[in-house]
Amino acid sequence: MVKRYSKYLLSAGVLALLVSGGMIVCRVDPILLVKGIPRGLELIGHMLPPAWGKITDLLSPALETLQIAFVGTVLGAGLSFIIGILASRNMHSMRFLRDFTRVLLSAERALPDLIVMLFFVAIVGLGAFPGVMALAVSSVGMLGKLFADAIEEVDPKPVESLEAIGASKAQIIHFAVLPQVFPSIIANTLYRFEVNIRMSILLGVVGAGGIGFNLVTSIRLMKYQEAMAAILIILLLVTFCEKSAEVLRKVMIGQELLR
Amino acid sequence: MKYPLREIFRKGSGELISSEVGYKRWPLHSLVPKIGLTLLFIWSLVNLNISPRLFLEGIPHFFNLVSEMFPPNWEVFWRGKILWSILETLAMAFVGTFWGALGAFFFALLAASNLSPSKIVREIAKRCLTAERSIPPLIYILLLVVVIGLGPFAGTIVIALGTIGMLGKLFAEAIETIDPKPLESLESAGATKPQIIRYAVLPQVTPSLIANTLFRFDINLRVALFLGVVGGGGIGVDLQMAMSLFRYADALAITVVTLVVIWTAERISDFFRRKVIGQEVLL
Repeated sequence: MVKRYSKYLLSAGVLALLVSGGMIVCRVDPILLVKGIPRGLELIGHMLPPAWGKITDLLSPALETLQIAFVGTVLGAGLSFIIGILASRNMHSMRFLRDFTRVLLSAERALPDLIVMLFFVAIVGLGAFPGVMALAVSSVGMLGKLFADAIEEVDPKPVESLEAIGASKAQIIHFAVLPQVFPSIIANTLYRFEVNIRMSILLGVVGAGGIGFNLVTSIRLMKYQEAMAAILIILLLVTFCEKSAEVLRKVMIGQELLR
Repeated sequence: MKYPLREIFRKGSGELISSEVGYKRWPLHSLVPKIGLTLLFIWSLVNLNISPRLFLEGIPHFFNLVSEMFPPNWEVFWRGKILWSILETLAMAFVGTFWGALGAFFFALLAASNLSPSKIVREIAKRCLTAERSIPPLIYILLLVVVIGLGPFAGTIVIALGTIGMLGKLFAEAIETIDPKPLESLESAGATKPQIIRYAVLPQVTPSLIANTLFRFDINLRVALFLGVVGGGGIGVDLQMAMSLFRYADALAITVVTLVVIWTAERISDFFRRKVIGQEVLL
């Protein structure tokens, strides 16, 4: 028995050491957690019933959050398509440009979204615009790569036949590439929209407007019933977005996927 | 143009496209959502007061920011406890991922259709995981900070919870797709549940579990960075403070070091992931 597991002993020991070291750094304290349970129940007591009267005040920030996510996703997807074409092997023959965009894309993916957000807030100030820009830019890293991969996999026959009859680059993209990558673009963009709606809630915290800001302020001011109303709206918003993305996915690409 | 290109193309090789790529009636089919989305987009732009002017105004601000950021102020690391905060962020992600993955495995055993003790337990476990995934981490952290106070412990718990939600689902799917033969033969030999898990389930799912856990670690590093801003401990709050106090040179120095640490951690997790997946391929 001991012999059988001895080869795992070293890695298990290192892992245990790392975890316990990490737990000391994080000041993990089970007693605090146990003590927290009655306090948590008390907090829930303070939060109920939700401040229904405040719901109407929260609707416009909720709409703002939704619109920031929507505009950011659309701009990001449009930008990603252009970058995707630049980064794909079969659309042009400028190798340098392709490698450059690929490097740019992977650098963007490696950049944490929080840093992108903070920089845009610093550049354009508070409000919805830095939020939209941050979401658009952070969408490009992922969508640009996925779009480029989809474009590289298109069937070359329509592209070649259009080239043969003398179509321009824009026409080739419109009539030969876009129809083929359309389902993949829509599916990935809708997925990114679901990510972005969550991020757009977080944006409120760093000062880019929306319902996240209302939630943070009402908790800091210890208005827990208003916080509960904001939480309910956030949950509703997230569920609504997931459902509508699902519906859009079915309406726009359902048939293609079925075939 | 008398014959639009679209028509020529349709008549020429349109058949080929519709049959081979699965593209049919593309423009008309999606006309309604297209128009609807365009209107929605314009309305959103108007409502959010976004115009190209704002973008143009941002450009000089951008160059201002860049000039204020250089040179980065490396002295910031001797002040306060910035390096400790970075370590805290790293530790939050690591500990949160570890306990979260353990919790996720436990939930997955309850939620997988081929191992779950009963239908009701399975349904409850699955519902818990779904609910867990749909609640944004912001809500957890804000409530936890009220309950157990500011600091990295609250952040660690939030990371563990988020990890359980996502990994629980992935683990359950991995367990459900295992080869049932070893499981059945152990069952018919009268093995106990822990024995079945140890000898039939674990050997088959371990590579996938480890690869997914390492993947989640990468995500959690970013979550940990964010949690700092809302009181979860770590470097996030120092970064945001430097930014909002206009100490951009400090902010750049913190950003650079944080990025280097995060990228290094990712490379390490990438190394292990490759090792694990490679083993699976070799087996």
